[in-house]
Amino acid sequence: MAHIAPTSNLSLSQRIFRGLLRTLPADFRANFGHEMEGVFAEQKREVETRGGPLDFLKLWWETLLGIFRTAPREHWDILKQDCAYAARMLANSPGFTVTAVLTLALGIGANTAIFSVVHSVLLRPLPYHDGQQLIFIRQQAEKVGIADIQFSAHEVNDYREQNRTLAGLVEYHGMSFTLFGHGEPERVSTGVVSANYFDVFGVKPLLGRTFEPADDRTGAPPVLVLSYEYWKNNFGADAGIIGKTFELNDKVHTVIGVLPPVPQYPDENNVYMPTSACPFRSSPKMSENRDMRMMEVFGRLKPGVTLPQARADLATIAERMKSEYAKSYPESIGYGATASPLQDELTRAARPTLLVLLAAAAFVLLIACANVANLTLARMARRERELAVRTALGAGRSRLLRQLLTESFLLAFVAGVLGLAMAYGSLELLTQFAARLTPRAREIHIDAGVLLFTLGAALGTSIVFGTISALFARANLASGLKEGSAGAGAGRSRNRMRSALIVSQIAFSFMLLIGAGLMLRSLAKMQQVNPGFVPQRVLAMKITYNWAKYAGVGQYALAAKKLLGRVEQEPGVLSAAVSSGYPLEPELISAGPDSNFATFQVEGRLLQPGEAPPTTSTAAASPGYFRTLGIPLTAGREFADTDDHNALNVAIINQTMQRRLWPNENPLGKRVSYDDGKTWTTIVGVVGDVREFGLDRPPISEMYVPVAQTGGMSTLIVRSAADPEAIARRMREVVHEADSQTAITHEMTVEQAREESLASPRLTATLLGLFAALALLIAAAGIGGIMALAVSQRVREIGIRMALGARPADVLRMVLGHGLALTFLGVAIGAAGALALTGLAKSFLFEVTPTDPLTFAGVALVLLASALLASFLPARRAASIDPIVALRNE
Amino acid sequence: MTRNKNVEEFLPMTPAMFQVLIALADGEKHGYAILKEVARRTEDTVRLSAGTLYGNLARLESSGLIVESDARPAIGLDDERRRYYRLTEFGREVAVAEAERMDTALSQARAKKLFRKTRLA
Repeated sequence: MAHIAPTSNLSLSQRIFRGLLRTLPADFRANFGHEMEGVFAEQKREVETRGGPLDFLKLWWETLLGIFRTAPREHWDILKQDCAYAARMLANSPGFTVTAVLTLALGIGANTAIFSVVHSVLLRPLPYHDGQQLIFIRQQAEKVGIADIQFSAHEVNDYREQNRTLAGLVEYHGMSFTLFGHGEPERVSTGVVSANYFDVFGVKPLLGRTFEPADDRTGAPPVLVLSYEYWKNNFGADAGIIGKTFELNDKVHTVIGVLPPVPQYPDENNVYMPTSACPFRSSPKMSENRDMRMMEVFGRLKPGVTLPQARADLATIAERMKSEYAKSYPESIGYGATASPLQDELTRAARPTLLVLLAAAAFVLLIACANVANLTLARMARRERELAVRTALGAGRSRLLRQLLTESFLLAFVAGVLGLAMAYGSLELLTQFAARLTPRAREIHIDAGVLLFTLGAALGTSIVFGTISALFARANLASGLKEGSAGAGAGRSRNRMRSALIVSQIAFSFMLLIGAGLMLRSLAKMQQVNPGFVPQRVLAMKITYNWAKYAGVGQYALAAKKLLGRVEQEPGVLSAAVSSGYPLEPELISAGPDSNFATFQVEGRLLQPGEAPPTTSTAAASPGYFRTLGIPLTAGREFADTDDHNALNVAIINQTMQRRLWPNENPLGKRVSYDDGKTWTTIVGVVGDVREFGLDRPPISEMYVPVAQTGGMSTLIVRSAADPEAIARRMREVVHEADSQTAITHEMTVEQAREESLASPRLTATLLGLFAALALLIAAAGIGGIMALAVSQRVREIGIRMALGARPADVLRMVLGHGLALTFLGVAIGAAGALALTGLAKSFLFEVTPTDPLTFAGVALVLLASALLASFLPARRAASIDPIVALRNE
Repeated sequence: MTRNKNVEEFLPMTPAMFQVLIALADGEKHGYAILKEVARRTEDTVRLSAGTLYGNLARLESSGLIVESDARPAIGLDDERRRYYRLTEFGREVAVAEAERMDTALSQARAKKLFRKTRLA
């Protein structure tokens, strides 16, 4: 062995050179390292004697270049060799390879799938020009707990004209109009927007143009912009669509443009029109009354303006408005205005669910990793001889480790590709799921970010289980050549590692199962909730009238009566009603309880200074509404035909409102006003509480007013004697017979609506349950594997025991006991972990505590049973060992 | 050590590798001597450093073109740190093949009257 000078004796140059050598592979270094040092030393000596400082620098430069050219090449060569070797090794043990790849692929696939959703929805910027500058502006009444009040025309104008921080401020509201002139009267969802709406979003038209300020002026000729999907699906992407005209309700609109295929916020609409073209928006009632609110407002920050600056600006305007129009913004409601990034608004609902799912997927991956680590460790034991021989033949230790890690990475890489394919296949399902939570769902696709994530996951997992196995390979390279089975010490520490892995798998599975279990219990509780009405056998249809034909509430009432008269005569119809909506309808759930609120005053009660005025949610209903839906009447009477627009204004309240305002009095006969005392409404009845906005949301104050007095008939509700779907077709015909110009949309049974309202929690619970089941499967497989291995390692010991008198039942008990002991430990750790994470779970659960003992007990039982099942086969094999055979075969 | 019987696999060769082979053509040398000779013979156009020299030597050794020599010079002139390398028969074949390849190329260039002046004989 050549003499290598200790580092302390070397000069600085030589020390630096030796350091540079470390960039070369260890084997190369061992082979040529000291020779290279010698050559460098001689080169240096020559330069020192014959050259100047320039030659010295030149030497260093060339040396550096040389090493930095050679090192990568050598590493690459080794990588190629290792990969070829790894591929051969993996192909030689197909059982291990297939199991490991599949296990990892499931874990990586689950993570990639969820991450692609998280990435597309939460992380990627909005697909609009400078999307992070877009904000959503809302008004608030803090003191009455309303976080999102819509805007009136006056308010939109005030904010638009007075702000100093926004490059554009636009309004939006969604309507549905009936489109004539293209087949059957068709309902089109319409976005009514400011002229510069698309400019603020930075959307350029695909065909034609978008709106200009001239289009938005009062009296301008009505124009339309079509959405891409609507144009493609309903007009066959006809390029000559520009200039065609359609009749929407009472106006003839000209198509001036088609949008490109961009996601539309806040709703997906078929068409768009400027505010001047919408009969409601441009009616005197809307444009002159500061308190007629129905718009949403978006803005774009000026370049360089921050969100806090914009918020301060809006707050200033709000203050100004409060002092100028004290009646509209009484001090007691705590009026203010604020803004938030549009991206946050659109993803807020989805964020918690997605993050929980990502965490669950990460758990599955960890469990899969532990399994593969276990498999690898078992395989290590069989390869000890091979590794020892290679060491004896001169392979450096670090080279062996490197090779093992390469093998791990190859495995993980293949698993990653497979996992990516799985994720790709599940994208559509995931998109449907996410669509309930955010409008960004349509943007979900696999892109470079997701690919990078998959690569990272593969790399990460390979490092985790590769390192574990490499650590144990290192420990016993020397002992591998000894006769007989693996060296006792190394074997024991390996077994301990394996047991530790199993315990951790069980702990993680426990936590996942608890999560899934809690969600399932939560779901079950929601399904059992009494909604306050009878949803079975009720059909609901959204109907859109041609508004222009009905000039006033009186005519609405007549139309409603005519329709109901016809409907109730039909066979199979028990009762019918019209109303502004029905409980648990999808639009109501997504709009939330803030959408219909109104403040009012109670006759005879003055507000204390600083006291907030009472608020209630309002709905319109025809006589028979409560009967049709099965909502119980607890006091007074239902609406009657005599409650029309010539009669006294009446209202029916629900029990929550009664409890809140007249807890100890009879509310019948009391009067309220929501226009400051100009008109008064008398309460004539009280009905039971209904869960309008979701089975998991408690009922709020509700006030019903007759359709005949206020209009608002957008829904037809029919209770049928038999299956409601059977009469749906006839009902459509009846509606058209009553008025051929009505458009019908969105018919579903109320039962279906109720199921729909549970769809999101159900899907989340299903996904979590799927992950948990996967985890359980992988963990159980792991337990079975390690049990089988333990048995095979202890064949001799078992043989001796049996020869000494142990019965098969004792052996069975011993093996099963081992498996159960590990499981108990894992359950205990998992339970501790689950208890620690309970705080996070609370917001997801409905009437279930995060520490629900039933769920914990159930999951523990499931895990123990699975462990027993997995250990059974190996245990039985152990019990059936013939001691003579066992002792003979060593 | 993987021995490739196929000479063509090594052609064409980098100038540095060829120069190392030629340096060993007339007898075995240690690393530094190879480096010095290559620098001298090519008039510094091919400059090897410790890294590139041993990168080439490692390749040549693993392909069986050179081997470590057992013969050592007389005691006194020997430095234990130096390993001596010599050309194998196969290595000689490969070097010859490369030289012939370059010769063919040169003849073809001449035949096509590539060289204006008769600078190269």
